[in-house]
Amino acid sequence: MARVWGLIAAAGLMAATRTTAQVEIVKPGTERTSLSLTEFTAAGGNSAQVFRRTLEEDLKRSGCFSLVAGPASLMIQGRCGDAGGTVTADCRVQNRAQGKEVFRKSYRGEAAGARRLAHTAADDIVLALTGQRGIAGTRIAMVGLRGGRKDLYVCDADGGNLTQISRDGAPCLSPAWSRDAQALYYMSMHRGFPDVYRVDLGSHRRNPIATYPGLNMSPAVSPDGRRLALVLSKDGNPDLYVMDLGTRQLTRVTRSRQAAEASPSWSPDGSQIVYVSDRAGSPHLYVVAASGGTERRLTVRGRQNVGPEWGANGLIVYSSLRDQCYQICVADAGGEKDQLTKDYADHEDPSWAPDGRHIVYARSAGHRSGLYVIDSEDRSEVGLPLTEGSWYSPAWSPR
Amino acid sequence: MRVGNLTRTAVMMGMLGAVLMTSGCSWFRRGGKTVDSTGDDMLQPGPLPEDSSVIAGREAGTGTRITDDPAAKIENVLFDYDSYQIRPGEMPKIERAAAFLKGNAGVTLVAEGNCDERGSNEYNMSLGEHRADAVRAALVGMGIDGGRITTKSFGEEKPADPGHGEAAWRVNRRVEFGFYR
Repeated sequence: MARVWGLIAAAGLMAATRTTAQVEIVKPGTERTSLSLTEFTAAGGNSAQVFRRTLEEDLKRSGCFSLVAGPASLMIQGRCGDAGGTVTADCRVQNRAQGKEVFRKSYRGEAAGARRLAHTAADDIVLALTGQRGIAGTRIAMVGLRGGRKDLYVCDADGGNLTQISRDGAPCLSPAWSRDAQALYYMSMHRGFPDVYRVDLGSHRRNPIATYPGLNMSPAVSPDGRRLALVLSKDGNPDLYVMDLGTRQLTRVTRSRQAAEASPSWSPDGSQIVYVSDRAGSPHLYVVAASGGTERRLTVRGRQNVGPEWGANGLIVYSSLRDQCYQICVADAGGEKDQLTKDYADHEDPSWAPDGRHIVYARSAGHRSGLYVIDSEDRSEVGLPLTEGSWYSPAWSPR
Repeated sequence: MRVGNLTRTAVMMGMLGAVLMTSGCSWFRRGGKTVDSTGDDMLQPGPLPEDSSVIAGREAGTGTRITDDPAAKIENVLFDYDSYQIRPGEMPKIERAAAFLKGNAGVTLVAEGNCDERGSNEYNMSLGEHRADAVRAALVGMGIDGGRITTKSFGEEKPADPGHGEAAWRVNRRVEFGFYR
């Protein structure tokens, strides 16, 4: 089933690509536990159907299971229903090999929130079965271009619940999540200049964070949530800075007189920052101590290397210009390890899911850009079903 | 115009408040127009409330852009791919800008840096700023007070030519002169 799903995704990619896509469907030797929802029924109206369908899709997208129609090692059992504007679900998981129930939980919520409720159930089940919580309940922030207007948007990890955050119709870029996933930092030009703002997703209040003369962009929140790395040009050409979010005090990290810097991202322990600099002529990746010091070039392959994000798993995902296309690559502290995409399209601005396994990126071909998610283990790719428009700069939320 | 906008904002905020009170759930589930394939709703919150603050240090470019003076219409400074180096052939344009600033004491300049569409949007923002800064530095080298010049990058967001070939890219890698009075 997972194989079929992968093939469908691959077929979709090939249809959208000018040349034949080279997509590895399943890494040889990968064996997933079979899982079935045939003993989990939905009764009642639309919300119950939405719950069941979302739960099934979420378990499939987790990448942990091979979903089958008949008997499986793991049987999801129980039922969901909706009545009077409320959706309820009783979920159990039977491990047939062990002959015992390994999960049981009941859910109840507003019918309108059936998708979110299913995401919660899926993440609980993934946690019970794998020891690591799933990512169905996480969200993705992005820039959308619709009707000639650019704005900030957020959707669920599966592309649902698409929500417009700003309504400026002005150039904006590179959203970055706060550690509690309740706020976004991003660059917007809605007041004429490229400035960095913070948007509280609860109150929708927007605060200016960096409005210095020249360029203010590329905010990145430190792992401890207390500092913001960003690129400013207030002291000359663009350089990397760190702002203390408590005091708003700035520390200058790079001092390149003849180079432009961009796209900082923190190491998991908060001690180092990976970023883009064109000090060698073309943009490539460098690593520097967050307190400043001598930078070290990380990437040597590719004509350009841009848009890095340092995952909690220690791996840096970025976009590398190979032949004529930007491709998603992964590096560790020692340099490039792997190239994940290979098809004829530009793959940009990758961002790790908090499971350290899935990556969202913007894929553009024919001057339209959409968001795709790749499973870094089996290399299967799937597009997010967003509405009409072009979508850029995705950022995956923390859990 | 302003009052109209405020009224519309107030109405939209009121509608949002009503939706909030009836739904009582977290922000991403509030009502609105259906726009995606999953049948979920998109928030229509109206303009974001915003802390008002004065942006200091951007006095240059705060007046009115000069559009009626032929001497202020100076051709864009063009650049090579991935480069912020000013080509020798582009220097006369910068010299004309310096002469205009010298002859008009109250005029300020916004040097607007731009890139072609290829490559990382974020890097292009930085490269556009670097191009604008290179023009600013050249003007300062010609004796212009740096306080009269501010830089502004549009990255790849504001192409002069919306096309996608080398001809469009060539004219899009540029710094524009915006004179203000």
